[in-house]
Amino acid sequence: IQPPEKPLQSEEWNRLRESFSSPEIFEDVMLNSMINCNSPIDVAKSLLTHVAKSRGDIAYSLLVKYLALCVQQGKTSEILDMYDIMKVRFKVLESGAYNLLIRGLSNSDQWRMALTLLEEIKKIMTPSRTSYESCIKAASRHQEMNLAFELYHEMLDKDLAPTLDALQAFFDYNRGIKSAELQKKLFGILFYLRDNQIYPHKTFMQSIKLWFESIPGGNWRGHLTNIEDSGQCPVCNHQLEDSELTEEEYNNLRERIIRDVIHGTDTFRKTSPQEFEAFQTFVENRLPFDIVIDGLNVSHMKQRQKQCENLFNAINCLAKGNARLLVLGRKHMLINSSNWRKELMKEMQDKAEFFFAENISEDDPFLLYATLRSGKHCKFVTRDFLRDHKACLSDSTTQHLFRKWQRGHQIAFYSSLKTMFLSFFIQQPALRYDCVVQTTGDTWHIPYKSIFEEKYSYQVPRKWLCIQQKG
Amino acid sequence: MQSANTLLKKIARSSVLPFAAQHGMKKDFFPLSRTLSLSLCMKQDNSCSPSDKIDLDEWKKVMKSGLQEVSETVSEHKELSTLAGARELLEMWKLAGRSVPENITEEQLKNFIECPSKSAQKKYLKFLYLKELYKKNDKRKMIEKRERKMEEQEEESKLDNNKRNSFIYFRANSMDKACNWRVAQSMIFGQSLVFDMSYEKDMSFREVTNTVRQIVLSESFNRRSADPFHIYFCNLKEDSLYQKEFIKHYREAWDRLLVTATDQCYTEVFPKDKLIYLTADSPKVMKTFDHDKIYIIGSMVDKSIKTGVSLARAKRLGLETAALPLEKYLLWSSGAKNLTLDQMMHILLTLKDTGDWKKALEFVPKRKHSGFVNKPVHELKKTLSLINTLKLGKRQEEIRNQFAKNYSKKLTQK
Repeated sequence: IQPPEKPLQSEEWNRLRESFSSPEIFEDVMLNSMINCNSPIDVAKSLLTHVAKSRGDIAYSLLVKYLALCVQQGKTSEILDMYDIMKVRFKVLESGAYNLLIRGLSNSDQWRMALTLLEEIKKIMTPSRTSYESCIKAASRHQEMNLAFELYHEMLDKDLAPTLDALQAFFDYNRGIKSAELQKKLFGILFYLRDNQIYPHKTFMQSIKLWFESIPGGNWRGHLTNIEDSGQCPVCNHQLEDSELTEEEYNNLRERIIRDVIHGTDTFRKTSPQEFEAFQTFVENRLPFDIVIDGLNVSHMKQRQKQCENLFNAINCLAKGNARLLVLGRKHMLINSSNWRKELMKEMQDKAEFFFAENISEDDPFLLYATLRSGKHCKFVTRDFLRDHKACLSDSTTQHLFRKWQRGHQIAFYSSLKTMFLSFFIQQPALRYDCVVQTTGDTWHIPYKSIFEEKYSYQVPRKWLCIQQKG
Repeated sequence: MQSANTLLKKIARSSVLPFAAQHGMKKDFFPLSRTLSLSLCMKQDNSCSPSDKIDLDEWKKVMKSGLQEVSETVSEHKELSTLAGARELLEMWKLAGRSVPENITEEQLKNFIECPSKSAQKKYLKFLYLKELYKKNDKRKMIEKRERKMEEQEEESKLDNNKRNSFIYFRANSMDKACNWRVAQSMIFGQSLVFDMSYEKDMSFREVTNTVRQIVLSESFNRRSADPFHIYFCNLKEDSLYQKEFIKHYREAWDRLLVTATDQCYTEVFPKDKLIYLTADSPKVMKTFDHDKIYIIGSMVDKSIKTGVSLARAKRLGLETAALPLEKYLLWSSGAKNLTLDQMMHILLTLKDTGDWKKALEFVPKRKHSGFVNKPVHELKKTLSLINTLKLGKRQEEIRNQFAKNYSKKLTQK
């Protein structure tokens, strides 16, 4: 329904109500559509007056909707009035009203009241991250940086992920201040981005850039750039951190893969203890490998070719330079069939090591284990994104480690139709540098994504902000 | 100073405020400045009188009327206990129009507080809300039905039908007896069917209750069938959640139930080579129903799709496994291939009686498939891909060539 443009008299509301198909929810529907159309609040007021007159009371849901309209239009005095009314009528409010009040008040000169409200919510539940965002923004806007940082740390303590907008506020409202302590705190936020592999969006990146450049006497200069495949920044010629994991991270990841992915709740779900043991001795006796190949995945690369031919091509392609190859497959590949021809299998087995798992076992956990066991130089080949195995890892730090390792070590083949007769595959190389916020003290490199760019979790942004200090 | 402030606040609220609020004037948070601005507004009030216009803030007056009493009780704002606080919060959510149940017990409230996240809380509340709604609807329908029956009875009472009533009663009772007799016989001579009750720790509380519900349904189907199974509940531990839920459902009838419940594993009860574990993850597809084998069904409701749990159990014990030939007989469209326990029971009972897969697979929910397959699947797939490629207009020539080739082959064969 279309809300009226001008305030109506009671009788007119009555008439409208009766013409509506279900009169019992008329007011709710009307107020909702007022919010959608951003109607003038006088119209809403006249509706509330009508309701109050005819019933002597206004339902809470209507009050909240009216509040939403006020917040949407930034009517501070109304919001304050609403707070008074609601506070007296009801002992506590619920999260929806609190969120609205905080959002509305934090944008006004009554922003301190938003903080009082935040305290009030904490007594009954965890405030939402957007409520925190509003308060942090309000505090930053009024140069109460200590308060803003306090709220930020409180969020982290409560395991709430701060919104990017809240983080951006810190950079927006601290320009031009020279303070070692403040600088340290803002670097802390950049490290938070690094630790959680969060990429700022373009406007946030601009805020960071402007903040750096505004530090008096800091001599920071920022440039937007693309990093080359070699991992060298074209602006400052600095080599980015490589994607290798530290010894400790590497061992940690390997332990966790064995524990969570291979064994999980029950070793029998993906393999069996006997089979895994056999595989372990097989790998130990032939270490180390340079490339581990998911045979079945690679064999399905081109639909029109026989599966064994696909695998044969891939092995030939990778066997150059005396790389030690391990191919993982399943036992059914050994049975002579049109897809798996025996002579070709024989020929392949001369060029690479093969391990055949049971037909009902999963081969991916073996792939991960063999690669991790062979050492940091070892890469693996599959087009699988390995999302399900990542999901088996129990905590987000290990999942991040896994992604990082995967970016550095996975080779994916894509067959291209155009160059079919020239080269068989397009090889997507593993990235040599690590795509996270990073610093060397006098340089910062920050990857960012443009706002509308669609990015999958396994992809990393290719655009970077390079900030360097000119001594 | 503070007491003076509150006094001011009270005066302002009780007497002048409704007046002032009428004009939607801007108020400050601090009561002292509020009284200041009040006087300002009073002046304005004299200058213009909106008599014929709509009084837009009149509702505020209504909302604030009768405030004195309320505000006094609220002013003694004491710390709420978490439980009472949660109850309060739910009350407000209800007012705000969220899906919250009308009544909530202490136990449910505790569950609500212990939910690990906000979304879990929301889900739990919605679950309770819907449960309440269904219950209410059922009750309403029951009452309607009773009323209808009463009316009918009144009509019928004009006729003499005492006999018919007693006849119905007699029939139901003897049916029960006959069923029990058949089940008792099956417990001596019948084929065994095992429910594996060892998945308790793989499930949430709700999943366990759903499981038991499904088993209760299965048991009743079995009891009423012409040739029932001898049901075994294996690995059923004393004091387990399964057991508690069973007793909740059956009450005292649990001890009289014509099934064999044991805490032993099926491998201890039956010879291993006779057992077949039914699991959707099995690579082997069941071809026929074997009357000499003992089939095992995992008593597990798996809402979060943990693949391979029951297959792992069978692998560990070295048992044969089988899956229903769903793909072979049905054009599967959507949904997981794991069926509910009562559906499995229906299917197995039908297979046992008739050996007819088509009849048995009638019990697979219709939403999961789009009909029975009347040709072998690989042929169907071929035509399907043919249609698809034709639709897409890709590789048309190739298909035409292939067609021509096949055609010429056919000709030469003739």
